[in-house]
Amino acid sequence: MPGVKAYTLREKSKADLEAQLVELKQELASLRAQKARGASATNLVRMHTVRKSIARVLTIINQQQRAQLRLFYKGKKYIPLDLRVKKTRAQRRQLTKHQKSLKTEKEKKKSIAFPQRKYALKA
Amino acid sequence: MAPKSKTTEKAVAAKKAVVKGIHGKKVTKIRTSTTFHRPKTLRLPRSPKYQRKSIPHAPRLDQYKVIIGPHSNESTMKKLEESNTIVFTVDIKANKRHIKDAFKSLYNVDVAKVTTLITPTGSKKAYIRLTSENDVLDVANRVGFI
Repeated sequence: MPGVKAYTLREKSKADLEAQLVELKQELASLRAQKARGASATNLVRMHTVRKSIARVLTIINQQQRAQLRLFYKGKKYIPLDLRVKKTRAQRRQLTKHQKSLKTEKEKKKSIAFPQRKYALKA
Repeated sequence: MAPKSKTTEKAVAAKKAVVKGIHGKKVTKIRTSTTFHRPKTLRLPRSPKYQRKSIPHAPRLDQYKVIIGPHSNESTMKKLEESNTIVFTVDIKANKRHIKDAFKSLYNVDVAKVTTLITPTGSKKAYIRLTSENDVLDVANRVGFI
């Protein structure tokens, strides 16, 4: 058996996923016990698929939770740190696009009074 | 005394200001001890505006992580038959209480006591003694020991 598939897991509810997680963990425990006794090759291979399935289920649980949380925090001022934009530390501390574009009154007036002129030569 | 009018009140206040000065009287605390102790101030509990971590982590050392698998050799078989004890490899970070609870919840048996040791190879071995009413061999079969 090749283990669970992600697209089938995504349709499940949180409770279902957690139940599946418990099942998989129990299977892994029994496989480990078999290994201690001396297991066949097929069982050892199965261990790998089970471990990866557990990882898959956990990933999907996490992804769903985070997606829900992002919806919840959308538009709010303060967001948990791990949901914020990551970029790099320096980039986060840079001026925002809006802040960079701000001009003084003086500058604004100048740009209106003396805009960049375009000239063309008559051929 | 003639009833005080506003003008006389004003005059009296002005006189006082000139004589005594306009600064109020300085009030100094009476200190009854020579040592100065830091005064106790208000300490508010935390009320964060947002959680720092979005999702608190699930318990990292759950029952499946604590108990790794049965440990089997001739001496453990002997312990199984004689002292009603089953030997397990266990996560190093687990303590005896963790092991007891994990075993109980996983295999539905009562545990009398747990002794642990850390092997020279760095793994933890737990000698789990079951209460006398439980049949160790039965548990061992379920676990996959034998």
